[in-house]
Amino acid sequence: MARREPAADTTWRASVESLQAGAIDAVLIAILLAMGELLVVAFSGRRGPTGLLLGAEQILDLLSYGRWLGAGIALAALWALGARWLGASPGQALVRGVPEGERDLAWTETLRGWFAAVFIELTFFAGWLITELDLVAFLTKFGKAADIVRGLAQPSTSVLHEGLILLVQTVFLAFMATAFAIPIAFVLAFPSARNLTRGSTLARLAYTVSRTLMNFVRAVEPLVWALIFISWVGIGPFAGVLALWVHSVASLTKLYSEQIESIDTGPMDAITATGASTLQVLRYGVVPQVIPPFLSFTIYRWDINVRMSTIIGFVGGGGIGYILKPRVDLGEWGEVGTLVLLIAATVWLMDLISAKIRERIV
Amino acid sequence: MSAAAAPAAAATPVVRIEGLGMVYPGGVRALAGIDLEVHEGEFLAVLGLSGSGKSTLLRCINRLVDPSEGRVWIFDREVTRLRGGELRRLRRQVAMIFQQFNLVRRHTVLDNVLSGSLGRSRLLPSLVMSFPPAERARALESLARVGLADRAGSRADALSGGQQQRVAVARALMQEPRLILADEPVASLDPALRHSVMRHIEALNRDEGLTVICSLHDIDLVERYATRLVALRDGRLVWQGLPSEFDRATFRSIYGEDAEPASNTGF
Repeated sequence: MARREPAADTTWRASVESLQAGAIDAVLIAILLAMGELLVVAFSGRRGPTGLLLGAEQILDLLSYGRWLGAGIALAALWALGARWLGASPGQALVRGVPEGERDLAWTETLRGWFAAVFIELTFFAGWLITELDLVAFLTKFGKAADIVRGLAQPSTSVLHEGLILLVQTVFLAFMATAFAIPIAFVLAFPSARNLTRGSTLARLAYTVSRTLMNFVRAVEPLVWALIFISWVGIGPFAGVLALWVHSVASLTKLYSEQIESIDTGPMDAITATGASTLQVLRYGVVPQVIPPFLSFTIYRWDINVRMSTIIGFVGGGGIGYILKPRVDLGEWGEVGTLVLLIAATVWLMDLISAKIRERIV
Repeated sequence: MSAAAAPAAAATPVVRIEGLGMVYPGGVRALAGIDLEVHEGEFLAVLGLSGSGKSTLLRCINRLVDPSEGRVWIFDREVTRLRGGELRRLRRQVAMIFQQFNLVRRHTVLDNVLSGSLGRSRLLPSLVMSFPPAERARALESLARVGLADRAGSRADALSGGQQQRVAVARALMQEPRLILADEPVASLDPALRHSVMRHIEALNRDEGLTVICSLHDIDLVERYATRLVALRDGRLVWQGLPSEFDRATFRSIYGEDAEPASNTGF
C-alpha cells in the first residue's frame, strides 16, 4: 500500500540546511562574544568623561559588534569543518536535529552543551546589567508609589462626572472599532485559511499576500497605529477608532481563519458533491460551522479593545486615557485613583458580560 | 456505422473506469490500475478492508479527489477532463452519501435536504438560503419518503445517527441524481439500524431505477442488497462477481488468510 514515489532532489536541501545552520551558529557565537565583552567592560569599572561609571547604554555603544560578527562567522565555519570531532554545532542541531551518536550524551560531554550553558549564564548577567536592575531602589524608594496607592484608597469625586462621560466614549470607541473590523476580517479570513487555498496557484497567492499583510499589521502595536492616525485625522477618539480598527481587522482575520482551518471538511465534501459552486460550498459547508466561534472571538475582541483604548488615550486617541495622562503627570493622585477605579470596574464588567455571552454561544 | 453503434449505445455503461490510479501527495498509493464498468440499474457493492481504496475509488468518480492516472466516464462524458462549471453540472447527476452523514449540523433538517438542490439553484437567493416553493415542497416530499416529514424543523444534530443518515438519503434524492455513490453508508450506525437506511437506498435503486455504487464491509448487507460486487485489496481490483458466487475462499482472498466472517453469513 505505502509505496513511496522517488524523493525530491536532496543535495539542494542539504546545502540550504548547511547555510541556515552556519548563519545561526555565526549569530549565536557573535552574541556570546559581545556579551563577554560587555561583562569585561562593566566589571573593569570603565569611567566616562564625567568620572562616573559608564551606564548600560554607553557600554552597549562601545561594543565592537562588527568584529564579533566576523569572529562569529569564522568560528562557526571552523565548528562546521570540525563537527566530526567537536560534535554537532547548535545551529546544526536546530536545523537537522541531534545526530544519532550524540543523543545519549549528557550536556557536559558535548561542546554544544557547554556552549549553551555559558550562553544562558551570560544572557542573565548581561540582562541584569543592560536593564539596570536596581534592587536597592526597588526595596527602599516606595514613597512616591505609596501616594498612588493612597489616591486609589481616597478617590476624589471632582473628576467623576468627566470620567464617566469619557468612559462611555471609551466603550463606544472600542465598539465602533470592533464593528467595522468584522466585515473586513470575515471576508479576509477565507483567503487566509490554508485548507481553502490549496486548490490553485491564484488561491495560494491570495493566501500568502493576505497572511503576510495581516502579520505585518498585527506586528505593529495599536499605540503606533494611534500615532499614525493622529497625524492623519487629528487628535481625538476617531484616531483611536481607526487605530483599534486596523489592529482588530488583523487579529480577527487571524482568529477567524484559524477557526476555518479547524472545521470538519465532511459537510464541504457533501455540498461540493451536489454540484454547488464555490460560494455555495463556503456558505453551506463552512459558514454554519464557524459562526459561533466567530461571535465569541468578536466579543472577546471588543473586550480587549476597551482595555487598549485606555492606553490609546494616553497618546491622544480619545477616551478616558486622554484625561488620565495629565493627572498622572501633575501628581493628582486622588483623581488618578478615581479614573483607574472607573477603568477597572468597566473592564471587570466587560469581562463578565463577554464571558457570559460566549458561554451561551459555544 | 450507425447500425454498428446502436447496440453499443444501448449498453453504454453509467460509469466506465479505465486504468484508474491514485497516489496521494506524500507518496501513498491508494489505487492502481482499476478497470470497471457499472451499468444502468445496478446496485454494485464495493468490498475491501479499510484502507483498501474504497473511499478513494468513489471519490475519484465524482472528482472529490483528482485521480493521478487513468480516466473515468459517467454517461459517456469523461469526468477526468471536465473542469469548473461543466464538472459541477455533471456532479448534479451524481449524489453522494457519506459514512459520517456530513449534514450541516446547525441547519434544520429541511435546509439540509434543500441543499441537495444547490446545483440547480440561482446563486444569490441560495446564499441567503431562500429556495422557491416548488423546491421546498419537493424537499418535504423527499423527507416523507424516508419517514422524517415530522422532523423537518428540527436541527440536524438533534437527530439520531440513523435519522441523520436518512436525511442524507433525502438530500441525495433531492438532487434528482441518476447515480448514487454511497461510501460506507451504515458503518457508523448501530447494527440494528443498518437495514433502516439500506432499505431506503435499495428503494431508490429498485423504484427509481437509480444506479448505486456502495462500499460496504458487512457481508450480510452485500448479500441482501447488491446485484453485483467487486472487491479491492491494496488499491487493486481483485475480484468481481455475483453475490451468489461469493464464498469463503473468496472472502479469504480479499480479507487475508486470518480473517473470519464477522457474523453468520451462511458459509
